[in-house]
Amino acid sequence: MTRTADPAAPADVEALRREVDEAFRAQRARRTRLRVALVAGGFLLLVVSSVVALAVGGAGVGLREVVGAIGHWLTGSASSPDDERTQAIVLQLRLPRVLLAVVAGAALSVAGVVMQGLLRNPLVSPFTLGISPAAAFGAALGILFLGGAGTASPGVVAGALVTSLACAGLILALSTLKKMEPTTLILLGMALTQLFVALTAALQYVADEQAIAAIVRWTFGTVNGATWPQVAVLAALVAALLPVLVSRSGTLNAIAFAGDDAARALGVHVSRTRFGLIAVSVVLTAVTVSFTGVIGFVGLVGPHIARLVIGADHRFLVPFSAVSGGLLVVVADTLGRVVLYPAVVPVGIVVAFVGAPLFLNLVLARKRSFL
Amino acid sequence: MTLTIDGLDVSYGSRAVLHAATLHAPAGELLGLLGPNGSGKSTLIKTVVGINRPRAGTVRWHGTDLLTLPRRELARLVAYVPQQADAPFSLTVFDAVMLGRTPHTGIRPRAVDVEHVEDALRRLGLETLADRSVGELSGGQAQRVLIARALAQDPTVLLLDEPTSALDLRYQLETLRLARDVTREHGAAGVIAIHDLNQAARFCDKVALLRDGRVVAHGTPQEVYSADLIGSVYGIEAEVSDYRGFPEVRPALAESELLVGAA
Repeated sequence: MTRTADPAAPADVEALRREVDEAFRAQRARRTRLRVALVAGGFLLLVVSSVVALAVGGAGVGLREVVGAIGHWLTGSASSPDDERTQAIVLQLRLPRVLLAVVAGAALSVAGVVMQGLLRNPLVSPFTLGISPAAAFGAALGILFLGGAGTASPGVVAGALVTSLACAGLILALSTLKKMEPTTLILLGMALTQLFVALTAALQYVADEQAIAAIVRWTFGTVNGATWPQVAVLAALVAALLPVLVSRSGTLNAIAFAGDDAARALGVHVSRTRFGLIAVSVVLTAVTVSFTGVIGFVGLVGPHIARLVIGADHRFLVPFSAVSGGLLVVVADTLGRVVLYPAVVPVGIVVAFVGAPLFLNLVLARKRSFL
Repeated sequence: MTLTIDGLDVSYGSRAVLHAATLHAPAGELLGLLGPNGSGKSTLIKTVVGINRPRAGTVRWHGTDLLTLPRRELARLVAYVPQQADAPFSLTVFDAVMLGRTPHTGIRPRAVDVEHVEDALRRLGLETLADRSVGELSGGQAQRVLIARALAQDPTVLLLDEPTSALDLRYQLETLRLARDVTREHGAAGVIAIHDLNQAARFCDKVALLRDGRVVAHGTPQEVYSADLIGSVYGIEAEVSDYRGFPEVRPALAESELLVGAA
């Protein structure tokens, strides 16, 4: 444009306006494509990291052997005893472990991002409603009375699942009396957290040393005992519930960014939506925790890392949180198997060591959100 | 077409906040809701937009009973501008205004949604800020984003809950001018809760004065503003004079209350 638009020539003004609109639309379309590419790229990175994680470990089983074993398994052609040993290591130990790490991280991070948005609070995590101490109490009951020990024993899984779901169900039921107000939910969560911490302490007080050790070890959070059924259940849950959450992300945006009153004025059933989506988060969290123990941090920080990278729009943030959470846990678990080899450091401990510096770096380096 | 509010009773628990409130606001006009803090202005607005449920009474728009309308359908007719935006996380201005399309669209915005958002941005002079994060804006700009969101909703009734209370003088005037222009050009019925009586007199076609949840006067500012009525509603001595054809209210203060005497 060599001349400025003349208000006396409306056709020119109209043309100029269209041009500006087009430029802005093109820019927004680029941004959308970039965000889609980030989700896809993140997913790819998650797949690559998982393959690398499969190849890490002792027993002389590297990347080549892993690929070979999976190939043999798929074609059903294990030939030598050596092959069978390799196949057992890959299929019964590493693959379920890596997959459980990925889906557990994804589930906790997605549950976290949904809870933060619904309760409009960046300090919220999937454990805000007291799910982790409730699960720890249930696991302790399982260890003491059903004779389980680690995250793989059915009694422990059942105990953790039942108590954590009961705790969250109680909070949701009580909150309906107060129109599902965020503050009510958070305060009830704090109260039940304290209650279950005390209950677990009471159990530890009467337990013998071996049981106490098992109870404490459970709370570290680990994928050591990963089994195929656990992987199948959790993967099926994530595969079924993630699309549900993404499909509600427009509504989630209205609640998170407009607030309860304004969201209602935008046609959103705020209390009903909050109840339903928290219930989804609770199920994801409770099942994950029952299988892995308490893997903290990822449900709080996974969402924040995702938000710093891809922006706060839940249509992209929810799927990207699955990626960030999965990556965080699978990388942390892989490091945990390497650092003190042959000892394995529980992923619940390592994840904070990996996530905290990364998170600090992102927070401090951020001038504004990238997108 | 007229927004008709008839015999509206609203309570918070056992505390009655509105008593048989009866008002009407025709399309193309801006109605100012006046009254002291706690007189029921916000409650009235939040009831019309479906945030509060009334005990009794009706709210109708052109024969449609708004109180029985499903929430999403109500949101296609009635838009609400809150006093302030407060969000722990922030979107871009464009995406924040796109929230106004929530009752009209699904998860993926269509071309018509984009056009509504672009129109709303243009109307509020926000085009150049469209890709900025709302968190980086000034208070006045953030308020304009809320109004743009309501416009993108394409409403026939526009409700504004004290939108000027946190703004400086320039943005107060700008917001009021916008509220009046939008109701006129859009043919919407506008209702604005506002504290400043003199600004209300200049920008509102009609005003309604509330006291303790009751509508005590409803009419043009000239009709409603009398020294006696204003004085008794606000519990002060008031003077009403004429300034360029608009009534102007001032508190009448005794000489002894003023700093002049101390000098």
